[in-house]
Amino acid sequence: MIRRLLLTLAGALVALAALGIPQLLQANDDRGRGHDDDRDDHGRPPQTLRSGFESSGQLLRDVAWSEQGPKHSAWIVESSRFLNVPHRAFQPDVGDPPTVDLPVNVGIIKSPDGQITLYDTGWKQLAYIFDWNTSCCWYGLRNQMTAIGLNPDHVTAIVVGHGHWDHSGQLSEFPNAVLYIQKEELKQIDFFLDYPIEFNNGNIRAVNTVNPRTGEQVGPPQQACARSPVCGYPPQTVQEILGKTLAHKARIIDGRHHLAPGMVIHPAFRGHTYGSQLLQVNTARGQLVFGSDTYSSWTGIRDWLVANIQQTDTIQQFLAYEKCYVLTSTSQGNSFNNCIAAHEPTAYTAAYPITSNWWNIPNGNCSRAAELVLAPGEATHVPANPNRTPASQCVSTIPPHAIMK
Amino acid sequence: MHAPRSRVSPAHTADRGGRSVFAGPLTFVLIAFAALAAGALLFFKPGDGTLRDGDAAAAMAAAAKRTRPALSADEERYIRALWPIHGDVERSTMRMSLGQIFYTTKDVDAGELKTRVEHALAVYKSARARIEGLQPPATLRAQHDEYLAAVRLFEESASEVMKMFSDGREDHLLAAHPKGQAGADKIREIGGKFWPQEFAPH
Repeated sequence: MIRRLLLTLAGALVALAALGIPQLLQANDDRGRGHDDDRDDHGRPPQTLRSGFESSGQLLRDVAWSEQGPKHSAWIVESSRFLNVPHRAFQPDVGDPPTVDLPVNVGIIKSPDGQITLYDTGWKQLAYIFDWNTSCCWYGLRNQMTAIGLNPDHVTAIVVGHGHWDHSGQLSEFPNAVLYIQKEELKQIDFFLDYPIEFNNGNIRAVNTVNPRTGEQVGPPQQACARSPVCGYPPQTVQEILGKTLAHKARIIDGRHHLAPGMVIHPAFRGHTYGSQLLQVNTARGQLVFGSDTYSSWTGIRDWLVANIQQTDTIQQFLAYEKCYVLTSTSQGNSFNNCIAAHEPTAYTAAYPITSNWWNIPNGNCSRAAELVLAPGEATHVPANPNRTPASQCVSTIPPHAIMK
Repeated sequence: MHAPRSRVSPAHTADRGGRSVFAGPLTFVLIAFAALAAGALLFFKPGDGTLRDGDAAAAMAAAAKRTRPALSADEERYIRALWPIHGDVERSTMRMSLGQIFYTTKDVDAGELKTRVEHALAVYKSARARIEGLQPPATLRAQHDEYLAAVRLFEESASEVMKMFSDGREDHLLAAHPKGQAGADKIREIGGKFWPQEFAPH
């Protein structure tokens, strides 16, 4: 009897051990591979990459850390403006008016020591933006900065929200600045160059598309990049990233990164592209969060609507919105007003309050700037009598840009 | 990516789960928005901001809108023939550029990079031969020559990178880059003219 009881007990212990040890090993493995402060990592949804996951606790700790840093000044400038974009192509849930004009905003952050960080670098490929008939008002970023009283030679860091050519287009204009880009962003470009077609018979094709059945290059326009999973990375942009890398002026990061006191890079993987990233900045009005195309529309963040869906997982875009809510939650009630969008149609008007202090950049081809917040001691860069010509009354020109007549 | 709502302190919750916390400030903000919007409507003319109308808008649209001149049949034929070559060149230079980046980050080894560069070099040589076999109309001769020059730059860049696998000196990557960049700049400019819808706006 006792022997049978002992055998039963031993069997039960073996069974418990068999069940428990792998779980214990798994837990240890998770901790071993995790970040130093990811105690909440077990709450990571299974569809998110480890390096792209940040818990609310981590975000709030970043807020506390950032608040200990210096307060920065911040502006946005309009690199160019898409004209007459079908509204539903931008925000499927918003239909009126039927077309909108979309700015392409670049963030400029100035530290108290005078160093400048750019968030995105705007357009470069002028032949494209003008000859495709969709844009106006382009003006070179260095000239824009000079015109609003900022020294482009003081740019020491560039954080690109993602690598699309309308946001990473003028990298070579800042040869001394260190580029920060997510490895995930580069990996996805590489992956989609050899996009597997065995499951779709070529219906979804790789960049600059090839018909996998015939080997023929197809389109455009019938089969342009718009149908492929990755587009918007011309060789020119990738070459510029390579140039930065070879010159030791690139930091290819994997997930969250403390850039400098008062500035934190946050991953927003698949918030727009696979390796999208946000930039949190400590300012006198609380934390600002620059979002590039993950935050294409500020009203989208405010009203919980997707916008500008590309390689976007819409859930991840919403979760990136949530990140802004968490990061700005201690920001003197500013909350989502401190989320900085790349293409918000109401930018440079009172309807997007943080951009309401705007003006036309002097001799800037109708491009606009907005002063978001000033650090203590930083004088305003808004002219005493700012030119605020409404978009409807400003006539822009097309700069020389083509080798073809 | 995910910020579980349950882990956010209620005082900091601003998502759907925390609406009640923000009810007061949110109401205030919404009222402020309404007031600002009303003020803006009174202050600015209708159509200000994102919508344009009037003569200036028409002038601006005209300035911004410049359609590609109609192509002759010969021009169309040439541009169509160049397109598949262009795709091969673009993909090869992208793979080679990314391969070099991943080599510096130690995500690919020298063997894989060499494979990529050898493949690119073969594609460039083939592309050059194919382009030289095209008969451009006189109106596109300059672009034809420019594209050929770009492919030669890519070839020279790849050849420079290949030297690294012989002598082990990684500074060949740095020496190779300006030619690759110049080639990429050229094909982007020509591509923007020949295939204006190649890269749709994002």
